[in-house]
Amino acid sequence: MANTVIDEELLQQIELLQTLIKNNVAGMFGGNHKSKSYGSSCEFADYREYTPGDDITKIDWNAYARFEKLYTKLFLDERQMHTRIYIDASYSMGYGKGKKDEQAIRLAAALAYLSVCEMDKVSVYTVQNKQLECVISGMLGKESYINSISALNDITFAGDSFLSDAIIPSTVGYGDGMSIIISDFLTDNNYEAAIDHLVGKKRHVLCVQLLSQEELAPKARGKMHFFDSEDTGKYYRKNINRDIIHAYKMAVEYATGRIREYCAARGADYMLICAEDPLNKVFFENLIDEGVIK
Amino acid sequence: MSLLQPLGLLGLLAIPVLILIYIIKSKYTEQVISSTYLWTLSERFLKRKNPIKTITGIISLILQILAVIFISIALAHPVFTLPGKANDYCFILDGSGSMNIVYDGKSRFEHGKDEIRSIINSAADGSTFTLITTGNTTDMIYKESDDKRMAVRRLNETASAYVASDFSSAAKVAQSYFNENSACKFYLVTDKEVGSAVNAEVINVAGTAFNYGVDGVSYAFNVNGGVTVSGTAFSYESDADITVDLFFDDSKVAAASKTLSLKRGQGEKFTIEKAPEEGQSAVEFRSLRVAIREKDSLSLDNQAVLYNTRSDASYNTLVVSDTPFFINATLDSAGNIKRTVVSPKDYTAEMRGYGLYIFQNFTPDKMPEDGAVWFINPDSGVDGTSGFALRGVEKFEGSTVELSMNKSSSSRVKNLLKGTNSADKTSVTEYVKCGLYRSFTTLLTCNNDPVVFAGSNSYGNREVVFAIDLVNTSDFALSYNGRVLTYNLLEYTFPSLVDQTIFYAGESLPVNVLANCSGIRVESPSGKAEYLDTSSAITDYELTEVGEYVITATVGGNRQSVRVFSQLPVAERIVTTTEASFVISGEPSEHKRDGKYEDLLYAFVILAVIVVADWLVYCYEQYQLR
Repeated sequence: MANTVIDEELLQQIELLQTLIKNNVAGMFGGNHKSKSYGSSCEFADYREYTPGDDITKIDWNAYARFEKLYTKLFLDERQMHTRIYIDASYSMGYGKGKKDEQAIRLAAALAYLSVCEMDKVSVYTVQNKQLECVISGMLGKESYINSISALNDITFAGDSFLSDAIIPSTVGYGDGMSIIISDFLTDNNYEAAIDHLVGKKRHVLCVQLLSQEELAPKARGKMHFFDSEDTGKYYRKNINRDIIHAYKMAVEYATGRIREYCAARGADYMLICAEDPLNKVFFENLIDEGVIK
Repeated sequence: MSLLQPLGLLGLLAIPVLILIYIIKSKYTEQVISSTYLWTLSERFLKRKNPIKTITGIISLILQILAVIFISIALAHPVFTLPGKANDYCFILDGSGSMNIVYDGKSRFEHGKDEIRSIINSAADGSTFTLITTGNTTDMIYKESDDKRMAVRRLNETASAYVASDFSSAAKVAQSYFNENSACKFYLVTDKEVGSAVNAEVINVAGTAFNYGVDGVSYAFNVNGGVTVSGTAFSYESDADITVDLFFDDSKVAAASKTLSLKRGQGEKFTIEKAPEEGQSAVEFRSLRVAIREKDSLSLDNQAVLYNTRSDASYNTLVVSDTPFFINATLDSAGNIKRTVVSPKDYTAEMRGYGLYIFQNFTPDKMPEDGAVWFINPDSGVDGTSGFALRGVEKFEGSTVELSMNKSSSSRVKNLLKGTNSADKTSVTEYVKCGLYRSFTTLLTCNNDPVVFAGSNSYGNREVVFAIDLVNTSDFALSYNGRVLTYNLLEYTFPSLVDQTIFYAGESLPVNVLANCSGIRVESPSGKAEYLDTSSAITDYELTEVGEYVITATVGGNRQSVRVFSQLPVAERIVTTTEASFVISGEPSEHKRDGKYEDLLYAFVILAVIVVADWLVYCYEQYQLR
């Protein structure tokens, strides 16, 4: 596929944003995200009585003057997050007028940059059939981002995608950050299991559903014989009329509503993005409105 | 039902072909999309199908099959038989002169044609039509035609005549057809009020009209050189005040006028006098026209035209005389006569090529062979050819003797003496006694001797003899009768093609076939030309139109033309006329013809609807037009 253009101006704007992680992160290394354990950040957390061996520099002498007891100040620990981005690389993402593949890559690149700016580690995976392939692994820092991000251009969109079968067996981490799944979710395959699995691993899950404008509001009319790009054995042959278009829109609402409700029930975030929408609109309207970033 | 073109049904073979094509060729547009998931999922939300909608997929095919069926049927041209629905129609259309009367912007004849057209067009298909017209002749234009378009077209081509219609002849033709087909419905289309009509329905197209007319127009020259025009004017529908104008030649300005108060149906005689203009010895004109100034419903009878045949003629005359003053003056006032004057001593037998040779006080040795001859006071006869011999001169010393006018009732004498006044006397002091040995018409005598006589010489040319000296020993040249007689004899010498210049349409025009005449051509007012038979002395020509006829004769290599005016017959000028009866005798039959219906218009309308419907279905399917 053609090289995906990263808009530098957009990246500069993204630098000002910050991801909102609902759960405190339990990463191994220090970073910018609050951890459940006490550490050495600047943010005050609590007091506890001094026990020998504690760092005497943390004793609050003002409290001693008032209570005549030694108290040590406790601070929140800030940990590094590991953002894992899963791109659905099936044929359905790459076919058609909508350019969902390009939008998926641009979105992944922008989200990765957001995480990199927050000193987080970023890994990008593709899901093709039942395989999970790591495209970028543990990217940390802007320099690494610049060196690695072009690897996204090498993603080939082909075959089917089985999100659960691919994600569940893989290493997804535990409580150490955000998992972002970018897909059209146009499948009956069990992607719910993948979401459950990630949520079970204390990951903050964000499902980005990418649909083209033609898929959201098809303009096709008359006698049409549609073939499925992923499986030409599947087809849909009908005289497309108003009734069918109406039913189709209800089907879109049903499909998007189902995943939205599923995510909401499990504390995961859900975004429906049109493939033709500009990325700055996606970031500064959709993602902010949904409370995924701030 | 029958089919005019049964092979057209072969078009139905296209139906299985159409179905085959429909099956083979899918009209679905194939397209690969990213996923059929949502489309398949939409099936769950689709409302229950309406059973009628199940055929919507093949509605286009159904419409196309219907179109093929209708095209095949149209090609086969079905004809449906409607038992007893058609009739035979026979129209007798009056084409007489009065049918030219105009009301509501159209002539009665056109109104009549409208009525017939209406019946033809509303008649059931399968009906037959017969058209009989009366006019100059009674003709059956077409008989039992079942072709409406042809019937109307031929009807449109008919035109009214200007003569009186012959209803008895029309009834005879209709009767003849009735004897063949007693079931036929007869319609008499006329402007006349028919007293009783048997086996015929009268369609009266008289309408509302009023008419004026002039008739019996004539003119006479007065002693003072003026002209008096007389005639009778009529108003046929109501009392009216009208003005009659007199025009000369082609002038648009009336030379004289007369206002008349007319009583309905009563002729009002009128005279219009026109004196010569200052400097003129006599009124000169080639034609005069009397016209009614007011407009009416029939313009054809509003004018009458008379022609001065004397002025129309062109003659070449040789005068052999030493004292030609009287002759010259007479010829000059008589019209367009070229003359050459020579002295008797200069005359030779080689001087030929003239229409008239006038020998005064001189007799040639040999008679001219190629023209008429006048002898005035001859000094001898020409042996064997002139037809008269001289027996000396009778003189009345110191006294005068009046000449006597022939009182014979013969038409030739009357014609030659027309316009003369019996009270006007001509006196002589001497005359030449002549013995006639040919058949001459004597006009004036003296002591029972012929003095002025006319006839033909042995060459067949006209010859006039004045056995008196016109000036010195008589007062002939100065007398009124002398002048009138000279004009009449000039006319006689140069015989005209016609004796009369005004007729009624329908009359025969007798045309004189002049000596050495090789052809006579008659051109009618409408421009139709016809050549007459010249084998007999007089040939008749039937005048059928109203207006000016031009008769041109080729006489000895020269052309001579005269004009006559044909007027509308008096009977055809009357706005409301009656015809006693129109009877077609016999018992009409009730038998009716089988009608037929073969109009394909509805088939084509339905076909057009189907094609449009198919197109709409196509658009609906392709573009979801709603």
